[in-house]
Amino acid sequence: MKLFYPLVLFDTGIVSFGMYLSEKMTTDFYLVFFLIIIFASISRNFKLLMVIGGITALLYGILLYSWGLLTNEEGSSYTLRIPFIFIMTAFYGYIVQTLTKEKRKALTISEDKYRGLFENANEGIVLLRNPQLQIADVNREVEKVIGYTKEELLLKDFFDLFIPEETEKARDFFKEVDEKGEGRADYLSLTKKDGSPVEVDFSIKRIDLGRESFHQMIFRDLTEQRKLEKKIRQSKRNLEAIFDGIRDQLSIQAPDYRILRVNRAVIEHYQTVFEKLIDRKCYEAYFLRSEPCDRCPVSVTIETKQPAFSTMKRSEDNTTLQVFSYPIFDEKGDLLSAIEYTKDITEQQRLQEQLIQSEKLAGIGVLASGVAHEINNPLSGIIGMAEIALEEEDPSKKKGYLMDILECGQRIQEIVKGLRSYSRAAKKEELSRVDLNGILEESLKMVQLAVKASSAEVIKDFQCVEKIQANVGEIQQVFTNLITNAFQAIDGKGGKLGLSTRSTDDSVEVKVSDNGKGIPHKYLNQIFDPFFTTKNPGEGTGLGLNIVYRIVSKYEGTIDVESNERIGTTFTIKFPIRRAEL
Amino acid sequence: MSRKILIVDDEEVIRKFLKIHLVKLGYEVTEAADGVQALEQLGRDDFDLLICDILMPKKDGWEVIREMKSNPKTKSIPVIVLTAKNEDSDMFKGYNLGANYYMTKPFTKSQLIYGLKLMLGETSEEIRA
Repeated sequence: MKLFYPLVLFDTGIVSFGMYLSEKMTTDFYLVFFLIIIFASISRNFKLLMVIGGITALLYGILLYSWGLLTNEEGSSYTLRIPFIFIMTAFYGYIVQTLTKEKRKALTISEDKYRGLFENANEGIVLLRNPQLQIADVNREVEKVIGYTKEELLLKDFFDLFIPEETEKARDFFKEVDEKGEGRADYLSLTKKDGSPVEVDFSIKRIDLGRESFHQMIFRDLTEQRKLEKKIRQSKRNLEAIFDGIRDQLSIQAPDYRILRVNRAVIEHYQTVFEKLIDRKCYEAYFLRSEPCDRCPVSVTIETKQPAFSTMKRSEDNTTLQVFSYPIFDEKGDLLSAIEYTKDITEQQRLQEQLIQSEKLAGIGVLASGVAHEINNPLSGIIGMAEIALEEEDPSKKKGYLMDILECGQRIQEIVKGLRSYSRAAKKEELSRVDLNGILEESLKMVQLAVKASSAEVIKDFQCVEKIQANVGEIQQVFTNLITNAFQAIDGKGGKLGLSTRSTDDSVEVKVSDNGKGIPHKYLNQIFDPFFTTKNPGEGTGLGLNIVYRIVSKYEGTIDVESNERIGTTFTIKFPIRRAEL
Repeated sequence: MSRKILIVDDEEVIRKFLKIHLVKLGYEVTEAADGVQALEQLGRDDFDLLICDILMPKKDGWEVIREMKSNPKTKSIPVIVLTAKNEDSDMFKGYNLGANYYMTKPFTKSQLIYGLKLMLGETSEEIRA
């Protein structure tokens, strides 16, 4: 179409130039020629154009004839003008015709495209003829969503499609659309043929098709979306209920430590309100500090994007907290936030201390009965010898008996001395720098009193090891339990008890070994469980090794056991030492 | 002929004063310092009474009693358990194994003589003495 005018101009120019060269240019010929071009340009009908072209040629012929130009000596060249005009008409007419046809074809194609879109759209489309908003056309989706057929809809009043309560709202909305030319609404519902409402999302635009003006209304059925939204809301509520229902504290922090969310346990613990915590830095809000706390697992998670864990003491309210931190990622894998899970283990720890304490008491009970036995022997000697001495007349014999009594008395004195230093240590509550070798010696003495296994050979290999920061009583408890077990495992002669200490790069190692009966393989993974015992009822509580394990863990140490039946057992304890502290 | 008594105890001082008492009372006394020695003596000689400690190295008193009571030759010898283990459960264990009398340390001479005479079936006048 764009080429039409240049083409016509070019042709006209060429033809004009040809006529000029043939020196046959006359004003009238030009006039007729341009008249023909004008006719061709405005014509829509090729046949009509040919008729017009014929008539023009004929009229021009008559005109030429009346001027007498056809009959003079140059008549033949004038006569040629008549078919020339007719041919030119046909030529221009053909060009115009072809171009218009193409234009029309393009139009038809785009109309078909629109139709296809219209019919197959997933959205409902309603065409409303302006200005009275009469339904002009609807697509299949409309029929599907509201259940009316196209024919029924074409006869209906547009506003009757809305649910009765919303007709007024819909009219107001369309008034607005009229002013602006377009609009959107997601608050209106349509009525289905069966009377039930259907929530939809509209967009409306004024369009012109041909010479007519329409409003094109496109709507989406929101039923599925609303269902989905409801489901999401429900699952969100469920998650929130779980979040709030957890009795331990949960707090979600952004990577800049800002608190994003907390559960009810946090609100209750700090006796505050949600608004006072949100958007504040966690270390300010919870710990009243100006920078992130030491050993805070959230810091670790923010740095490493890994879960982290730490036990923290809050001096503010004297609680012990176990804090776990887990990363939350966005779709790209960047850290979105960290969820901090805080468990107050103050009570649990108190109970554990109590358990350790009561096991210690039970242990002391065992010791006491052992010690009583040990005292009873020399005491028997004293009483028996004293009775004999009383009856004896011979002074030299009497002296011998009294010597025996004295010796027995001194033995008792030794026992009592040992017992006192042991119980004094056991009573100590606070941490101090503890000499492991000294405690091993003391514990050995105590156990030797309580458990008669004096025939077992004790092999000591004590190296000069660092003192560790610990509660003496608890370390004593560990060694006493292990040595007692070792002695009990030994039976018969040739029994050997090994006690050794040594330093490694980052720990102090204590080994307690025996060549006794060993622990059956099947029990090895149970021996540290509470109340696990192979002893007869009344002989063991099943708490001894469990307590050993708890105490060692408390000092962040490790305990390993190696045992073979009939060959013996070795317990190896490692207490970490922090070089920086030395 | 004087009656023979075997004293088994790992405590030398206890064996010593027991022996003095018993010799004075006219018994013939043999000593053993542990369970193994005790069983050796029992196999070597005939005894009228066994006074036996429980907690001893090598072989404890329980084992000594078990073995002698299962040996027809020594089965009928009365046994006095002499021990510092004074819990009821120990006492029951002793009687179950076949011990005849249970005496806990420390004890006096009269307690010793009472149990001794009872086991040997001797007259009560001597007990009073």
